[in-house]
Amino acid sequence: MNKRSVRNIEVTVTDDGHSICFDAMASPCEVLVASNDSKLALTLGRLIADEVWRIEDKYSRYQPTSVCSAINNSRGKSIPIDQETYLLLNFADTCYQLSEGVFDITSGVLQKIWQFDGSSNIPCAAEVKKSLENIGWLNVSFDEQYIIMPENMEVDFGGIGKEYAVDRAMIIANEFTELPVLVNLGGDLAANKPRKVNVPWQVGIEHPGFIERKPMVVSLLQGALATSGDAKRFLLKDNVRYSHILNAKTGWPIVQAPRSITVVAPQCIQAGILATLALMQGAQAESFLTEQEIKFWAIR
Amino acid sequence: MKINSFNRNSFSANLASRTVKCSLFSAVIILVSGCSSLGVQPWERDLLAKEEMALTSSPIDSALDDHIYFSKEASSGGKSFGGGGCGCN
Amino acid sequence: MQLNQKKPAINIKAALTIATSALLGTVPAIANAANDSTTVTKAQLESAWDFESAFLYYSEGDRVSAAEAIISARKTFANDEVLNLKLTIDSLTGASANGAAAQPNVQTFTRPSGKGSYQTKAGETPLDDTFKDTRVQLNAQWTQPLAANYTGSAGVHISKEYDYLSLGINGNLAYDFNQKNSTFSVGLSYFQDSFKPEGGIPLAFASMPLAYGNDSDTDNSVNKAGFDATRRTDSDDKTTADIMLGFTQVINRRMVMQFNYSYSKVDGYLNDPFKVLSLVNSEGITQDYLYENRPDTRVKQSLFAQTKYHFEQNVIDVSYRYMWDDWEISSHTIDTRLRIPLSSSSYIEPHLRFYQQSAAEFYQPFLAQANSMPEFASADYRIGEMSAYTVGLKYGMKLSDGNDLSFRLEYYRQDPKNSGHLAPDALANVDLYESVDAIIAQVSYSF
Repeated sequence: MNKRSVRNIEVTVTDDGHSICFDAMASPCEVLVASNDSKLALTLGRLIADEVWRIEDKYSRYQPTSVCSAINNSRGKSIPIDQETYLLLNFADTCYQLSEGVFDITSGVLQKIWQFDGSSNIPCAAEVKKSLENIGWLNVSFDEQYIIMPENMEVDFGGIGKEYAVDRAMIIANEFTELPVLVNLGGDLAANKPRKVNVPWQVGIEHPGFIERKPMVVSLLQGALATSGDAKRFLLKDNVRYSHILNAKTGWPIVQAPRSITVVAPQCIQAGILATLALMQGAQAESFLTEQEIKFWAIR
Repeated sequence: MKINSFNRNSFSANLASRTVKCSLFSAVIILVSGCSSLGVQPWERDLLAKEEMALTSSPIDSALDDHIYFSKEASSGGKSFGGGGCGCN
Repeated sequence: MQLNQKKPAINIKAALTIATSALLGTVPAIANAANDSTTVTKAQLESAWDFESAFLYYSEGDRVSAAEAIISARKTFANDEVLNLKLTIDSLTGASANGAAAQPNVQTFTRPSGKGSYQTKAGETPLDDTFKDTRVQLNAQWTQPLAANYTGSAGVHISKEYDYLSLGINGNLAYDFNQKNSTFSVGLSYFQDSFKPEGGIPLAFASMPLAYGNDSDTDNSVNKAGFDATRRTDSDDKTTADIMLGFTQVINRRMVMQFNYSYSKVDGYLNDPFKVLSLVNSEGITQDYLYENRPDTRVKQSLFAQTKYHFEQNVIDVSYRYMWDDWEISSHTIDTRLRIPLSSSSYIEPHLRFYQQSAAEFYQPFLAQANSMPEFASADYRIGEMSAYTVGLKYGMKLSDGNDLSFRLEYYRQDPKNSGHLAPDALANVDLYESVDAIIAQVSYSF
């Protein structure tokens, strides 16, 4: 989300429908609709793209006019919020509780000391400890009208924003049409129904960093898929691989985590959180998901 | 390394080709020894990962070309095995 | 929550479902979704088969034409094992040079089968138009990681023609190091070929016999006996053993290089039973046609270097091969391709190839009566001095369903050269080193 890309959409005719492509949230995005009606496809594509861009504008920490920036620049003062923001904060709160503090949307400040550029730049323990002073979801107070963010603390919706956008896009698609639709925002995706009766969508899932591997092809009847991984974003020092998934409680990256986990769930945001929570289990990532009877693919 | 015996005749006869071979091999060895400074980090493989950057980006084209040139010229292989395989030569 | 799970694990899924419903305002089919999300969502890991297919047409105009079809299937299994199956079918028809020299008069040759003959006009390069063959080839290759940084591969090959059978096996081991930026590989392959040409295998330097018809008159049985007298055996075979050492190095983000050394030893019947040499008198007039004779062993070696470089948009592929063998043939090959994207889904790729080879020590365009018979001789222009080039263009595009379609059109020209053989009178006025032009057209589709 660090640079605002050109906002236009491109419609192409596919075998059994239309594909609408656009760029958002620093990812290539695609909507597939099983309809030969170009006008319908274009309208649906616009609706979905506008919704995704709206969410990007509202919750990107890199956009100075976003709600996120307003909260982060509030210097401890109370800030009014709307219903949507409240619901997102509520969801983040649930994730914090479920992970017992390992997943924390105020942990974004750690990104300043952890530069996941693939180098061996491991911050020193003192730096990490100092950053931890500015992390702690429990110090944030909010209700349906207001949020109070302590000074020097920041909130980051990066861990849930894209998946949320997929689910919102799906809601809009379902309001607009009963046709089969698949929304894919840079690999996090959802489908409302099978492409045709009992014919699944074929989805290629990229594994950046695995040069020999072709994209994994997954067939999805309906539901959502989300992938969490560190194929490109990690640090390597003394043969220890530090993933970009940080433990908000310790300020240190999770070690021994799979490089990538793809999870299936009814909604994309669920899939995304489950994938992230699983990565936070480190070596136990797979058994965590297996115990929950969740369908997933992990790459180590 | 110990060199016990030397076949002088074959040495002089093959001197030219040996010189070529030696210099090419030493080039390879220099590359090998210098290779620790060459290469990229795993996250820098964006371009190398592209299909068109594979050393054999189109195996079918290569197989067809190999077959044509194997049957029309005296040389074969080099990139991959140039063995037998058909009666076209 | 790392390891101590105070809460029953199943709660996480259920709790998330409730939280998601609250967030999205969807009607919470909570219990259903929580307990049975897999019935709502069915997904499966499917590294389906990938297919590549191609059809190629090769034509030398009035000489040989060939059609070749390939279908290759590839499947990747869960632990990165790759199975590759390939079926190749080709069919060859037309005429190819039989080795005899052009003459100022019409020439008559016995067909390789001995049944019937064909004629070549005055001044033209004699071409044997008997060739008609269909070949079926099957390859299977299995590749898998063996241990950290080691990849092994093994394959089998079978190729069958009407008169030819080739069986092959190969194995390869690759070792990655330096963060997979460098790879050493060693490969071995072994082929066992057997050849059962129509009309049998002629004796070395035997005179081309007279043809015989199908009728059983006396002349024919005499001629049949004469033909049989020039035959050594029905079939013969050869083996090819190859070893290849390879080194691949990533130079930087844009560049990768490969170096190979190959050693190949071929033993057995290396003649072409259809090729003859003209035996000429001091005026250059052909007196007889003698079957060729090559050594029964050949050791080939080659060095190969390739580099690929990714410019901003374009990708260039340059390779060079130096090959030499104990027949004193050496050759240089330069092959270069430049892939130029036209859009995000299409590209063109010009292709240039230059080839130059020196003659085998026993190559000679004809035999002269005045000289003593050499131990080995062949007039096959393919082992004579020659240069060749290929110019081609490929156009490829990605279809909307993600499949690839490409077209390739190439022009290939061979220019055989005189490597210092003086031609007597009659031969001075004919073209002993006729050029060969070929057009190659190919369509490929992967799905």
